[in-house]
Amino acid sequence: MSVLLEIKNLSVSFRTAQGEVEAVRDVSFSLSPGEVLAIVGESGCGKSVLCRSIMKLLPGNGWIRGGTILADGTDITHYTQRDMERLRGRLFSMVFQDPLTALNPTITIGAQIAEAVRVHQPKAKKAAVRRRVLELMDLVGIPGGEERYGRYPHEFSGGMRQRSVMAIALASGPRILFADEPTTALDVTIQAQILDLLRDVQARLGAAAILVTHDLGVVARAADRVAVMYAGKIVEYGTVEDIFYDPRHPYTWGLLRSLPAWAEDGQPLYTIPGMPPSLIDPPKGDAFACRNEYALAIDYQEAPPMFRISDTHYAATWLLDARAPKIQGGWSHA
Amino acid sequence: MRQKNPFLYYGGKVLSFAVSLFLLSLAAFYVARLAPGDPLVSYYGDRAEKMTVQEREQAEARLGLDRPVHVQYIRWLEGAVRGDFGISYKYRTEALSVIAARLPNTLILGGIGFLLIFTGALALGAICAWNEGNLLDRFICKAGTVVSCIPEFWMSLVLILIFSVHLRWLPSSGAYTIGGGGIANRAVHLVLPLTVTVAGHLWYYAYMIRNRLLEEIRADYVLLARAKGLGRRKVLFRHCLRSVLPTYLSLMAISVPHILGGTYIVETVFSYPGIGTLSYESARYQDYNLLMLLCILSGGLVILCNILAQIVSERIDPRMRSGETPEVTDHG
Amino acid sequence: MPEILLDIQHLTHDFRLGRKRTVRAVDDVSFQMQKGEIFGLVGESGSGKSTVAKCVMSILSPSAGKIRYLGVNICDPGQFRSHRKLLQTSRQMIFQDSTSSLNPRMTVAAIISEPLEIHHIRPPRGSLREEAAFQLKCVGLDPGCLDRRPPELSGGQRQRVAIARALSMSPELLVADEPIASLDVSIQAQIINLFRHLQREHGFTFLFIAHDLAVVRYLCDRVGVMLGGKLVEEAPSGELFANPLHPYTQALLSAIPVPDPCRERARTPVIFDSAQFDREGVLTEVLPGHRVLRKGAAS
Repeated sequence: MSVLLEIKNLSVSFRTAQGEVEAVRDVSFSLSPGEVLAIVGESGCGKSVLCRSIMKLLPGNGWIRGGTILADGTDITHYTQRDMERLRGRLFSMVFQDPLTALNPTITIGAQIAEAVRVHQPKAKKAAVRRRVLELMDLVGIPGGEERYGRYPHEFSGGMRQRSVMAIALASGPRILFADEPTTALDVTIQAQILDLLRDVQARLGAAAILVTHDLGVVARAADRVAVMYAGKIVEYGTVEDIFYDPRHPYTWGLLRSLPAWAEDGQPLYTIPGMPPSLIDPPKGDAFACRNEYALAIDYQEAPPMFRISDTHYAATWLLDARAPKIQGGWSHA
Repeated sequence: MRQKNPFLYYGGKVLSFAVSLFLLSLAAFYVARLAPGDPLVSYYGDRAEKMTVQEREQAEARLGLDRPVHVQYIRWLEGAVRGDFGISYKYRTEALSVIAARLPNTLILGGIGFLLIFTGALALGAICAWNEGNLLDRFICKAGTVVSCIPEFWMSLVLILIFSVHLRWLPSSGAYTIGGGGIANRAVHLVLPLTVTVAGHLWYYAYMIRNRLLEEIRADYVLLARAKGLGRRKVLFRHCLRSVLPTYLSLMAISVPHILGGTYIVETVFSYPGIGTLSYESARYQDYNLLMLLCILSGGLVILCNILAQIVSERIDPRMRSGETPEVTDHG
Repeated sequence: MPEILLDIQHLTHDFRLGRKRTVRAVDDVSFQMQKGEIFGLVGESGSGKSTVAKCVMSILSPSAGKIRYLGVNICDPGQFRSHRKLLQTSRQMIFQDSTSSLNPRMTVAAIISEPLEIHHIRPPRGSLREEAAFQLKCVGLDPGCLDRRPPELSGGQRQRVAIARALSMSPELLVADEPIASLDVSIQAQIINLFRHLQREHGFTFLFIAHDLAVVRYLCDRVGVMLGGKLVEEAPSGELFANPLHPYTQALLSAIPVPDPCRERARTPVIFDSAQFDREGVLTEVLPGHRVLRKGAAS
């Protein structure tokens, strides 16, 4: 199978008053056409930064320290903003967490979608653009496109706004869709609808998607493959079945076990002790070591490499080393 | 209901304009009479000081100043409604014609100054936001702060010293050379007063534009617009400026009296025959009728600008329109 | 017969939008809270659950209805004034966003001891500082945090400070408005455990507002479901999750994601058509302790 996007050893840093923040550290993954890759992690683990650095939409104080980004076989690591403008919208596109702030409040929904259509077809006729906008609105399930064309974002409900953002993202037929916490700001009852729409549209258009989220329920519903991120690194990488039914990294165990959905009555929830380390001066060795109840001496010395579990499943923990003790009951599925 | 009845909408605006103007005139009328001084001096000159008590009473009766203040006000209001604003004590002609002679000069100075500030601030703010943190941005910020700290009268004097006294390039006073008043001649006379008016205010507004733009640039919708593939320049002009404009327009409208006040000082320093010098004189000499008319004119302008700003903001920013259903109901 | 701490009767609140328009955020809501129980209030954004909390805390004064707290009608200004001290010290609130609800310029010690100072309460453990240190320990923070300021703390730590501040008054009633919504999954679990632990220790009555049903099911004794300003269903937690009666509750429960790919993908959420929501019903007790919004049957 061909590879649409390949990230090799990507590192991204931010310059701040306190020092250099190493937000993404040595991350590698690949994305094939038609698949949905979920990047899971807590806030500050670098998952959003990772997406934005691939699209080159980092704020002014962030820069790519190292690694390569191969999009469709081309190295775009050193592309200028102008080069990227040609790719954005067509090669990749983005859906955001909060659709209300992602839409310009002073412009009608129709005009905002039309603008996205026109970016890559500047010579399109007015009627053709309008037809395409209505088509897009239909695609993302906004009923009554004609009537809603001239409406403003504040007149839409949360779900409809997120559908509009999706229409904008899909306007130029992107091949990779980044969805950054697309359901977090929405009400529970419509979260599943939006996720199903994302999957449906992505499958119909044959696009790949990167779904950034902290919510394992979202991952379970929409992802094909999962990358678990902790402190700027990918700690475990596998298919959705690998991650949910056979997780190998202690952090993944912790994430799964702390879900209230698995809580037994009367028992306290499982918690991962402590909190994520600062990325200004990341600890030596495994960043998760001090929160890991199974930590080995070597965890404090040396960062673990990616161990191969199967062709699809990798995890970075010394517990997978041949010399490590075998852990029983890190995660037993209910 | 999506749009309000336009007749009611504009009718309401006109009504609120009229009420505000009425309250303003009432306040100005009473306050003017609280100020110490003798209105007779401006009408009779030095003669007023030598008048006997009887003569004074007669003179006051002639000018209608012997009545209680509220009666004076009602008489003034009756006249004003008919378009008769009384006579100027100092110039001894109709107040309206005194102002009519001076108004164009101020409108030219203030109007051009206002336009220059308005567009200049927008351009300067956009340039700074575009080059945020660069050398250019930092230089403009620093220079602007320094220039806006210089008092207007002092800057006027320095400019006169340099360009009129030493270099002899530009005239130091007046609106035109007596006898010949071509456009070129007027323009030459405007250069210095305009420079001072614009320099004093430009930076304040440019800085505001810069900061508001930077706020907008950090918003999510800018990221979405960039993710669509829109260039930075297009995002700045199409999205950010559009969001900034409503606040900017209303601020500019409110700033009209501020800039006008600035031109008053500038007019006085450059002996520019405009409303500014006139206002100063009328307040100084208790020239009540002239003062009232000037108050109504300036105040009316301010109120009008505010109402216009409100209408414009509502047109640009759909969220500010009142009386609309906030959300289309749907499920999903 | 358990003692009733909070009795809300026909609570209604209208927000004014402009001169003539109002929006009814809370519409005829009645429920009671027994002493020592954890009551969960769930609903979508805009369902009025936060408005109920603010009315209970007297941050908003309701347009109609009564709220009795320990027998005092807190909506009545006269009664409020004569019981001011009791009302202000024994009800405490925790907000969703501890970044904005804690003053960034105050030290943690000052934040925790401020309510004691305001109400001239002699700190039970000697000095104000010792008291603050004790409260910090109770919420699982190191007393070394005392001289730090909120921006130097992580989100979870800030929320712990907010809890310590609320508990320093040893309240009878604690109201928490989406206290874990802005926290990370692993930190959420820590805070939920902390709430459970503290509630058992102190025995305060707890009004817990959330949109995450899995959390509510785990933490709460009784649950009320709100929709469009109406309380549509109220039942003991186990009963509600086992036997939801109102179609909206059914939709809401079916929307809880299951962190298991096979089961999650097989799940089809029930869709509740808000156009068919009948606002005219009356909350009727259908099973002991289980009330649901039903048409007609007046109680």
